[in-house]
Amino acid sequence: MKRRDFIKRSSLASGLFFVPNFIKNIESESINYLGFKKLVIIQLSGGNDGLNSIIPFTNDVYYKNRPQISIKKNNLIKATDELGFHKSLAPLKNLYDEGYLSIINNVGYPNPNRSHFRSTDIWQTASDSNQYLDTGWLGRYIEKYGKIPYSGIEIDDSLSLIMKGKNMNGIATKNPRTLFSNTQTPYFKKVLKYQSDQHLSEHNLGYLYKTMIEARSSAKYIYETSKTYKSNLEYPNNPFGKQLKTTAEFINSHLESKVYYASMGGFDTHANQFNRQDRLLSTFSSAMDVFVKDLKQNNTFKDTLILVFSEFGRRVQQNGAGGTDHGAANNVYIIGENLKKKGFYNNAPDLLSLDKNGDLIHTVDFRSIYASILDKWLEIDDVSILNKTFRKLDFI
Amino acid sequence: MKQRHIQHLYWRAGFGIGLKKINQLKSKSKNEIIKNLFYDASKVNLLQLDLSEFNFIKNKSPKALKVEMGEEAYRKLRQKSQRKVRDLNYAWLERLTEPSSILREKMTLFWSNVFVCRDNHIFHIQHFNNTLRKNALGNFRELVKKIAKEASMSKYLNNRQNRKKSPNENFARELMELFTLGIGNYTEQDIKESARAFTGWSFKLNGDFVLRKKQHDSGIKTFFDKSGYFDGDDIIDLILEKKQCARFICDKVYRYFVNPIVDESHLDEITSIFYKDYDINNLMMHIFSAKWFYNDKNIGVKIKSPVELLVGIRRVVPVTFMKKNQLNYLQKMMGQVLLYPENVSGWKGGKNWIDSNTLMFRMKLASLILNDAVINLEEKGAFEDSFNKYYNKERKRNKYIKTIKNWAFFIKNHLNLKPNELRDLLILSKLDKDTAVLLDELKVTSNKDYCIQIMSIPEYQLC
Repeated sequence: MKRRDFIKRSSLASGLFFVPNFIKNIESESINYLGFKKLVIIQLSGGNDGLNSIIPFTNDVYYKNRPQISIKKNNLIKATDELGFHKSLAPLKNLYDEGYLSIINNVGYPNPNRSHFRSTDIWQTASDSNQYLDTGWLGRYIEKYGKIPYSGIEIDDSLSLIMKGKNMNGIATKNPRTLFSNTQTPYFKKVLKYQSDQHLSEHNLGYLYKTMIEARSSAKYIYETSKTYKSNLEYPNNPFGKQLKTTAEFINSHLESKVYYASMGGFDTHANQFNRQDRLLSTFSSAMDVFVKDLKQNNTFKDTLILVFSEFGRRVQQNGAGGTDHGAANNVYIIGENLKKKGFYNNAPDLLSLDKNGDLIHTVDFRSIYASILDKWLEIDDVSILNKTFRKLDFI
Repeated sequence: MKQRHIQHLYWRAGFGIGLKKINQLKSKSKNEIIKNLFYDASKVNLLQLDLSEFNFIKNKSPKALKVEMGEEAYRKLRQKSQRKVRDLNYAWLERLTEPSSILREKMTLFWSNVFVCRDNHIFHIQHFNNTLRKNALGNFRELVKKIAKEASMSKYLNNRQNRKKSPNENFARELMELFTLGIGNYTEQDIKESARAFTGWSFKLNGDFVLRKKQHDSGIKTFFDKSGYFDGDDIIDLILEKKQCARFICDKVYRYFVNPIVDESHLDEITSIFYKDYDINNLMMHIFSAKWFYNDKNIGVKIKSPVELLVGIRRVVPVTFMKKNQLNYLQKMMGQVLLYPENVSGWKGGKNWIDSNTLMFRMKLASLILNDAVINLEEKGAFEDSFNKYYNKERKRNKYIKTIKNWAFFIKNHLNLKPNELRDLLILSKLDKDTAVLLDELKVTSNKDYCIQIMSIPEYQLC
């Protein structure tokens, strides 16, 4: 469906939710008019150390600041004359070689916040540093364009702020069967069996019933559609591998869902970072490797864009415990088949001009990345989601 | 007073009401009932954990402790004391289920979501929590001034880093944006000037407030078009001079205690009352006495917070949790963990509590804690967790919430109730017409089963 038709259509469906026969409508709803493109967002939760992931191996400042935990020149995979991948990111380096990876350096925002909670909020809501929003940027997309909860799925059992809108939210599940069975509990089922939606009120009670109905039809749709495809590739046997496998099954079974979000935990490496991060990056990249293969095999990679971020990077100088503390700007990975700018999007971080905490200063606002994705990938008006104009980048 | 109105009053001023108490109150007048409510609330019962094992760290700096104990032992001690914050969470939740916890505890809960704060120093956060409790029905001016001097707040909003030479504006900004006026009612210049007035505001190791004179900027500040040698207390007084401050707080009070949809004329009315002297007790007394408070449109229309939902069930059927950490699980799955707000703007409440996932969980809550229903959903890990810990709950699929249910209490109180009487006792919201048919057609086998059924319909989510 063309964008113009969509606008027509969305203006019909917009406004209050209690259109007549709400139940029937939601069950026959399709969001394919939004096109076939998918967006997968992965948060490396806790704050991945970007400097030890993509290493500036010719930079003395880097080595001076990290006597115990720096990655030695002979122990990494060189990509350019000055930047190399952590050995455990070898699969990512392969994607880089194939032209499927774009790395954007120095991504952050003005007045960076170093609290996990707050900075995650900022990234998830696309707010300014001193602004508190109660909707996530994907949530706003779901509410404005998707219009059914399953247009956005979080691979977890509870929903993060990123997926929340004002009157419509995404849905969370890491196991569609479990989600479905939770809508089949005796009381939930019985209440809905009697529900004709003839009397739904406008306010809170109506909202509860509407959410129940949406939950049921979303759960049913996700479960019934996704069970048609089971991945035949072997994913690493760990929870993150499972999250990506589930995501691939959703995409490859041609679920209409547009945006996916999953978070991988463990990156808050204040102590003994060297070995810990090694394992984390390996877990991350080996699962990502299979995920991309799985999509390719099913011809869905061309329609999928993957964005990997952390709520912040880590301090340039290591701490006393062989780890690093919370920092600011960081690198972001974009993975996809049709990248405009392959490899490194911009210059390596400048380790000589740091902020007063000794952290990297951002040169790219993370919302510029969002704006570019909304505009060029999801093909919608980015300002309608971000409420502000951001300079667009040309990585896609 | 009508039963429905008593229930409404007790749901908003507390966490619901049992049949026995209703029967005691029914014959009394509205005035008497409200007088009693405030009389009960006049007593302050502080929330205090036994922290004697940590007393020796009270007056020592982390640095000194590290030297004294060694790094590793200190780290363990720190973790242990941080776990006490979780214990304080459990103690607070238990407190809310006690029959005597009504208005003062409800107000404390309300203020904790205005003056939002988070701290893993158990002594400081317990003190903070009790400052809210002590002043919950006192004077708002005193409350703000005390909160501004709390160690936990000083840390949370970086006021102790606020020094003459390099002012930190965080506290000054949130004081106006989130605690007193709301965005758009001050200028950036006002923030800069007021931040200067709070420079040097810090605390001693034991948490007591201290003004570090050398760090304090005692010069002339210009704030809200007035100039003077203002300190932090003066700034708070100047903020409260603005009627907008009274209005901002009254708006929050109205949404929380009356109706999420604000009636402007009622808001004007209570703002004028509050602005006179910022007396919280008077404000609340006025609201609960107002005729409009009992208007039908205000009854049963508020979405319960997760804590209200959980506490409300436990007041009907007393429940003991065998595994305290399952209380944490329930709070996390529903999106409200007391003492662990996600950011300084607090929980938005209302529809924000509800999404497909939380609603399914909330509607299952009664079955989970009263009927040993199985649950196979996992809470999210924490940012600080290692990879394994982040996901480790994964392995325990199909779990039960281990509780001891005091059905004897319920049966004793509700044995002779007819189904529709029990329904009216538990549900304040209007019934959806289709669901009403469902309830009429339901074969009621016992009040015990019916109670769980009623608690599992969407209407029970409202109060």
